[in-house]
Amino acid sequence: MKTIHITRYLPESSEIPFVQQFDIPADDSTSVLDALNYIKEELDPSLSFRWSCRMAICGSCGLMVNGKPKLGCKTFLRDYQENITLQPLAHLPVERDLIVDMDVFLTHLEAVKPYLISDDSLSTEPNKQTPTQMAKYQQFSDCINCGLCYSACPQFGLNPEFLGPAAITLAHRYNLDSRDHGKAQRMPLLNTEEGAWSCTFVGFCSEVCPKKVDPAAAVNQSKVESAKDMIIQLFKGNL
Amino acid sequence: MTYRTTLSRTWWLKHNAFKAYMLREATVLPLTFFILCLVSGVYCLWQGESQWNHWQTAMGQPWVLAVNLLAFFASLFHAWTFFQLFPRVMPIRMGHISVPANVLIAGQWAAVLSVMVLFSWLFWGKL
Repeated sequence: MKTIHITRYLPESSEIPFVQQFDIPADDSTSVLDALNYIKEELDPSLSFRWSCRMAICGSCGLMVNGKPKLGCKTFLRDYQENITLQPLAHLPVERDLIVDMDVFLTHLEAVKPYLISDDSLSTEPNKQTPTQMAKYQQFSDCINCGLCYSACPQFGLNPEFLGPAAITLAHRYNLDSRDHGKAQRMPLLNTEEGAWSCTFVGFCSEVCPKKVDPAAAVNQSKVESAKDMIIQLFKGNL
Repeated sequence: MTYRTTLSRTWWLKHNAFKAYMLREATVLPLTFFILCLVSGVYCLWQGESQWNHWQTAMGQPWVLAVNLLAFFASLFHAWTFFQLFPRVMPIRMGHISVPANVLIAGQWAAVLSVMVLFSWLFWGKL
């Protein structure tokens, strides 16, 4: 048996979140998500949480496990002692129990134009790319939009206007893509204080990333790109 | 209706990763003291011999030596953290091959060593 403490929030009955304790049976294969599903099916059907794939692909089941952002499906109770504390992802508004409002995160993702921007939208020719060209951005394209990096980032916690690790990583991923021609459209946003420059390289985002994307590296590479862009704009007389 | 948790002033005490980050950033404190010593030294040199001698006496005080020694180790610690991060921020590719991170880190330490050797030679005239 393992004891799990869950921070619950039921806005229809109380404005203040509270902690509820559950004792659940666990073996070596029991994940945090398994535990949550056991609680919902056997102990308390009112518990709310997001989940879908159970295999660290969909990025839905992010939550704080003992204060650290984790995917519920990729975190196992065997790695923890008796007491386990589950809370909703930090730095995001909580809607209900372990469900957070991801709107800010999604708005930031959308803002960086995370898609291939072509020079010639009428062209029907397929894009060509060599393995070497793909290697430049491949690591940064593994992001599953789980939002753990936003919960790990104190700069986002202090200022939700900061674009944040995942959005800047996505912008950088497309800027590095040889098929893309949209860098000039993305740089003005990355150059702002809420862009790459709010990052102080705490590095915790990369530590918690379940897909080893290393967003801290992408954000700081974006700073280098931003500095280069500023010098180019200076010589062009645009500054 | 939603609720939002806010970061307290002590947010950095929650994780060892945050503490390590704050330690890295705190290296600026003894380094600022070192810079002030250096700038005041230049100013005293400009003021004349007696001021320069006063400055030298002040620099010889045990607590000043201790803080400056701390600044030296703080700069080495900061350099260590910076060198670790450098290959992630400035990955270097030569043709199809990306230069391994440990080669870049070793290269930076080699540069530090070269500067130390050069300045030892400049100040003491022998190695």
